[in-house]
Amino acid sequence: MKRRTFATVLGTAPFINLLPMGARAAEARPQVIRISFPGAGTGGRPIVGGSFPANSHLQRAIDEEFKADGIRVEWKHFPGAGPALNESFANGLTDFAFGHGDLPLIVGRSTGLKHKVLMSAGRGGDSYFVVPAGSTAKSLTDLKGKRIATFKGTAGQLTTYRFFERFGLSDKDFKVISLDSDSTLAALSTGDIDGTVRAPFDVEARGVAHRIHEILNDPYITRPSTVWVGEEFEKKYPEVVQRVVTRLVKVAQWSTLEANREKQLQLWATSGTAYVDYQKGWESTKDLRDRINPLLDDYYQASIRNSIEEAKKYKLVRRDVAFDGWLEPRYLNNALKDLKLEDYWPQQAADGKVKVPGRKL
Amino acid sequence: MTPPLQPGKAGSAVFTGLRRFAHAGVGLVLPALLYGLWLLAVERRWLPEQILPAPSLVWQSLQELWASGELQGHLLASASRVGWSLAVGGSAGLLLGLAMGLSRTLRDYLFPSFDVVSQFPVLGWIPLLIIFAGIDEALKISAISIAVTVPVAVNTLKGIGNIPPALFEVCRVYRFTPWQVVRRMVLPAAAPSLFNGLRQAVMQAWLTLVFVELLASSEGIGYLMVWGRQLAQLDLVIVGMVLIGAVGVALDLALRTLESWLVRWRPPAF
Amino acid sequence: MSAVIHPVLTVPALPARPPAPAINWRGAVLPLALLFAWWAVTALGWVDTRLIVPPANVLHTAVKTLQDPVFLQGVLFSLGRDLSGFAAGSAAGLALGLAMGTSRWADRALGPSFHTLRQVSLFAWLPLLSSWLGYGELSKLVFIALSTLYPVALGTFEGVRGVSRAHAEVARVYRFTRLQMLWRLILPAAAPQIATGLTLGLIYAWVATIGSEFLLANWGNGLGNVVIKARASFNVELIVFGMLAIGLVGTALNRIAIRIEARVLHWRAPSPSAF
Repeated sequence: MKRRTFATVLGTAPFINLLPMGARAAEARPQVIRISFPGAGTGGRPIVGGSFPANSHLQRAIDEEFKADGIRVEWKHFPGAGPALNESFANGLTDFAFGHGDLPLIVGRSTGLKHKVLMSAGRGGDSYFVVPAGSTAKSLTDLKGKRIATFKGTAGQLTTYRFFERFGLSDKDFKVISLDSDSTLAALSTGDIDGTVRAPFDVEARGVAHRIHEILNDPYITRPSTVWVGEEFEKKYPEVVQRVVTRLVKVAQWSTLEANREKQLQLWATSGTAYVDYQKGWESTKDLRDRINPLLDDYYQASIRNSIEEAKKYKLVRRDVAFDGWLEPRYLNNALKDLKLEDYWPQQAADGKVKVPGRKL
Repeated sequence: MTPPLQPGKAGSAVFTGLRRFAHAGVGLVLPALLYGLWLLAVERRWLPEQILPAPSLVWQSLQELWASGELQGHLLASASRVGWSLAVGGSAGLLLGLAMGLSRTLRDYLFPSFDVVSQFPVLGWIPLLIIFAGIDEALKISAISIAVTVPVAVNTLKGIGNIPPALFEVCRVYRFTPWQVVRRMVLPAAAPSLFNGLRQAVMQAWLTLVFVELLASSEGIGYLMVWGRQLAQLDLVIVGMVLIGAVGVALDLALRTLESWLVRWRPPAF
Repeated sequence: MSAVIHPVLTVPALPARPPAPAINWRGAVLPLALLFAWWAVTALGWVDTRLIVPPANVLHTAVKTLQDPVFLQGVLFSLGRDLSGFAAGSAAGLALGLAMGTSRWADRALGPSFHTLRQVSLFAWLPLLSSWLGYGELSKLVFIALSTLYPVALGTFEGVRGVSRAHAEVARVYRFTRLQMLWRLILPAAAPQIATGLTLGLIYAWVATIGSEFLLANWGNGLGNVVIKARASFNVELIVFGMLAIGLVGTALNRIAIRIEARVLHWRAPSPSAF
């Protein structure tokens, strides 16, 4: 018995050289790519809409990209929004974030999370302040001392504070409570809160609330969101990062085509947010490239710097946040070059005005 | 009570004292170990720093919040909610228990419903209460009051059930009015059960308070913990836990003192 | 002049009444009255029927949901979580209670920490637990186990402490081994308090299950998630039905636990309530 086994082993020895070297090559590739969205649909369902990274999930574009290599893509959604994504990353459970808002992004970095900014995920849009249907308030000053809802720790909190500022008020003039989107809708319906920053179309259609303020297309009130990758992942698998970025840019370009507007709105509505909110919310955007823009231009950088100052002002971070060394634009630049899209998108100056218009379509 | 020192026994008294000190000291071993583990975990980064704050940070935050008065504000908000609910729910529970315990008619009408409803977990009521009472103080007080009413009523009932019937006879002989029966016989006789009920009620009240504050609040200790969580300041979460524990200990102690003072007329059996 | 001593009653003296009927019809009066009031108020339109939904609608939703396999799956999931957490917590609680009860030194070392940590209201652990263990099954199970641990450990501890010294002496005379001590003396003697602890543990486990499903919502399965989804779609009928389901399961678990407790302890004479 022993002699036979020994002979078998000896017999196969010359063939070992012919074993595929795939095993060694796989070390340079991850087995799974974990992509997280700082948010979830209504009721916590694992679908989000409203941006081109969301499209890459809805169309399974990234899955397709890596199918041939046998790399699985794990999509994660967090009803706890930005803060929950930070926790997950701190625990080493995610590699990419698609569309992180300014505040949780900054809070994460201030607590020592190490990631690299790859591109911006979307910008612009309009902001509205709504009050419950029965409310007699005509302006924010009427609501002084009343209950305002916002999801603390998310970009919405800073947007709400900027709204206050715009009217000469501050967060100390109100009772600000933290509620997620579903709870805010319920609270609006029962009149338990006195106001919130929210898209008004669906709630007005249902007769639940109405708007008292609108700030349209103001580049100071709204801030761009971000796509980032964990530093460790980027160091280990730079080619994977490049492929993700290139694919995302492709999806971004698809998303800016007017012919695809309706398709996107339908896809986004599967997240549970009402179709009319998306439709009316994007109606005034004539050129989709104004809001679907991945560039890390002056506007992006200035906005994030402003948000850092705001976070420090409102004591939402305890340590200073260094902006230098955070951005990693080379993947984006490579992607733009490879896809011949370097002049496709408009570049905005720090104040939001267009510095270099996008290529004529 | 240590017996008075007798000549020649001084040494053994010192020994007894040392022994008692050692006994108490042993209780500190576990906390000390855990604290050491915490320090080690922070230094060696067994858990990421965003999720395990250093003890020094927790202590620092505690001091900052105390100095700015915020801590007192949150504590007061939570404590007043519990206080009001104990008053409302406690009286309701007492009345209910007395009614069902002393009157067979009322018991026949009320007890079956009460029996079923009392076994509902309070948390089950909350989504409904949110719809009716909103998310303001009304919700919190009503939810916590419900949580308080049940143990108080149940224990009052039990306490009355344990009263020897002979005592009722005595009341009848003295021709007590119902009010006198309650005040001079039932309450003192059922006191141990009543306090048991009160103790459970306080615990349930805290449980419900923390839950409701975690769900939706604009001030209070639960709110502090949510704030800390949302802004990745977990030291605030730990400060919140420490506070909740401290108040729990204080309440328990207060109840014990109150009980022993109120029942001081009854000498202990042993 | 000797007073006539009337038959002892726990109510003010009444003339002798016919024996109470076997079924207590009066008990049904209150629930029926409330049900009628509920129906009347919605039928007459006195309240906003979006908030206070008519009972018929709730019944309709109830029937529809009970036929939905996803719902039944959810109930099973919640129960599964509940019972696994309960099992883990009870085992740990029994072990802890036994250790603290039988060994003076274990009591001194673990007791103070145990009693202090016990004062930290259960839900206060949840934010920290979910930070460390995430929003998934693990943190829920740990939380449920923790909720069960306290009452079980406490009950076991008190039961073991209550074992009479005389009995322990006899056991020692008969040279019982450790295991025999445990199985034939300690556990039977402490059984009532252990049973009380386990019953309480079961109640808390269900509260913890539902509470953690509410607070750690993650689009998973479970009864709590049903209610959360109902809230998201503002389906008040479903919220009411979900709440009833939660309450009924809790009541059922409670009743079962009490039955089992009575059955297990039936060989014991009722304990004197003197002390």
